[in-house]
Amino acid sequence: MTSATSTVPSTADGTDPAGASLLERLGEVWLELEDHLARVPVLQRLDDGTVTLEDYMRLLFNLRQQVIDGSLWIARAASNFDIDHFELRAAAIKHAEEEHRDHFLLEADYVALGGSREELRAGRKNVGSEALSGYLFTYASKPNPAGLLGAMFIIEGLGARRAAQWAARFQEVLGLADNQVHFMTYHQEADGAHTGDMEAILTSGLIDDATADEIVRCAQVVARLYALQLEELDR
Amino acid sequence: MTTTARAYLTGFGRYLPGPPVDNDGMAARLGGDDAVTARIRGSILASNGIRQRHYALDEQGEPTELNEELAVKALNAALDDRGIQPSDLRMLATATTMGDVLVPGFANMVHGRLGGGPMQLLSASGVCASSMAALDAVVSKVRLGDHPRGAVVASELPSRSLRQRRYEGFRAGMDAHFLRWMLSDGAGAVVVEFQPHPTRLSLRVDWIRQVSLAHDHAVCMRAGMSGDETHVGGTWQDVALADAQAAGMFVLRQDVGMLDDLAEAGIAQFEELVDIGLVDVRHLDHVICHYSTNVFRDVAFDALRRRVPSLDTDRWFSNLETRGNTGSASIFIALEEAWRTGRFEPGETILLAVPESGRFSFAFAQLTVVAPTRPQGASS
Repeated sequence: MTSATSTVPSTADGTDPAGASLLERLGEVWLELEDHLARVPVLQRLDDGTVTLEDYMRLLFNLRQQVIDGSLWIARAASNFDIDHFELRAAAIKHAEEEHRDHFLLEADYVALGGSREELRAGRKNVGSEALSGYLFTYASKPNPAGLLGAMFIIEGLGARRAAQWAARFQEVLGLADNQVHFMTYHQEADGAHTGDMEAILTSGLIDDATADEIVRCAQVVARLYALQLEELDR
Repeated sequence: MTTTARAYLTGFGRYLPGPPVDNDGMAARLGGDDAVTARIRGSILASNGIRQRHYALDEQGEPTELNEELAVKALNAALDDRGIQPSDLRMLATATTMGDVLVPGFANMVHGRLGGGPMQLLSASGVCASSMAALDAVVSKVRLGDHPRGAVVASELPSRSLRQRRYEGFRAGMDAHFLRWMLSDGAGAVVVEFQPHPTRLSLRVDWIRQVSLAHDHAVCMRAGMSGDETHVGGTWQDVALADAQAAGMFVLRQDVGMLDDLAEAGIAQFEELVDIGLVDVRHLDHVICHYSTNVFRDVAFDALRRRVPSLDTDRWFSNLETRGNTGSASIFIALEEAWRTGRFEPGETILLAVPESGRFSFAFAQLTVVAPTRPQGASS
């Protein structure tokens, strides 16, 4: 399913034969993502307690290059919603505004760990981040890219459901202060709020069947590319 | 809930200027070889037990280095010991009784000479316990996660003001002589980080406690004032400099009659740490206590013995007799030597104790020796 080249699945492909709701279908995608994450080496080391400070710094380093793009593709998506999709445009503008400083939090954590802000800023995206950003910018450039709600479901979900767990585990294993995991802990609150906003949209009746299929498809692609970004640290 | 990092001492350095100076060499550098002064010197040296010390003075008694130079050399030694550069530091806290200049702060001068990059500074002032105040500041910021790495240096160069020319023109009593034959020059430094050293032992800072009893005690060690109480118009800043000199206000004085009270108060503070459970007397592997004279060593040791009958002198480390009393720097100079000579084993605890006579301050810290924690299965 992740090998499909089309970014917009056909309705026939995307319709759930059991007639599951959009949230239920996204829940399935989330479970696939969890399976992938369980196989990501750095997360495995985090889980079994062998993760190192260097691992954590590499993770921040790799995430930063993509976090920079986050509010940019959301803002681009906002600019491509026409007046008939005003609610989605408003939500995207608000979301982009809230996220466009997130990389400063990450940078502060990186510096608090002894890393160099200059080196961090001079970094480039890894192959997974390249693919993820490329996909998201392309998608955001289309008219009314409502499918991106699926991308947000995955990315915000990671922030809301996993980032704080990761932060707590890094703190536990490496003996870190709150000031050194601020980026990840912040996302539990912020993305929790975003997830709530998004679920309201997803269940509002604004989403027709064809759009629902696009959202699910986009979520599948983003879930795979996000995991790829975590697998391809520094490459 | 707030989670803090831990703070570890990972690098140790010291600098002692010039060759060791024995008791006979003191008068050559400081002067004061008249019969009365010589007799006082002899009696002070007999009780303090100091056999040799270092001065940043040449054989004629002329200064050879600045206090800030001593500090930078000790810092560089600590950075070398850790294998890092000044540019790796994000904070520097300094302690000294008197910097080379009145303004600006000592830390600013040391940073300027040390180099490195932008960093947070603190100039802790005071006397002996100011080194522990400086350590506490860096340890606290490292624990908060504000800085990954900082350094602390305590540096003293009192010898310049202990020379004969400062003692002429007024009658110098015991209060003015006491410290003259006690104090000498030197600097000690430590590196503080939020992670232990990757490949060798580190000292984890478990806690630092500092308390002043100035509310209950008059000034004991002082310079820059007349008499033993401050009053408007009675400090060196209020009068003509020549008058201040003539009044002996630039001499460092100690009210020796108060020192028994100081020892007693210090022991009471230690007892309190035991009472509240910070010090576990069953697990007191090393004690490094700063004291100015062996008389107080015996008083302090006897007091500890009452709590820990099994405490033997082997667990007690001091290098007062060979490195002299370098004020705020003494505790780090002693810690560095204990560290370098391999006294510590993983799991052991170290109690640092610094009583300060200035106006009755006491600082204690507990360190635990930790092994390197390079995890197995680390990333490639």
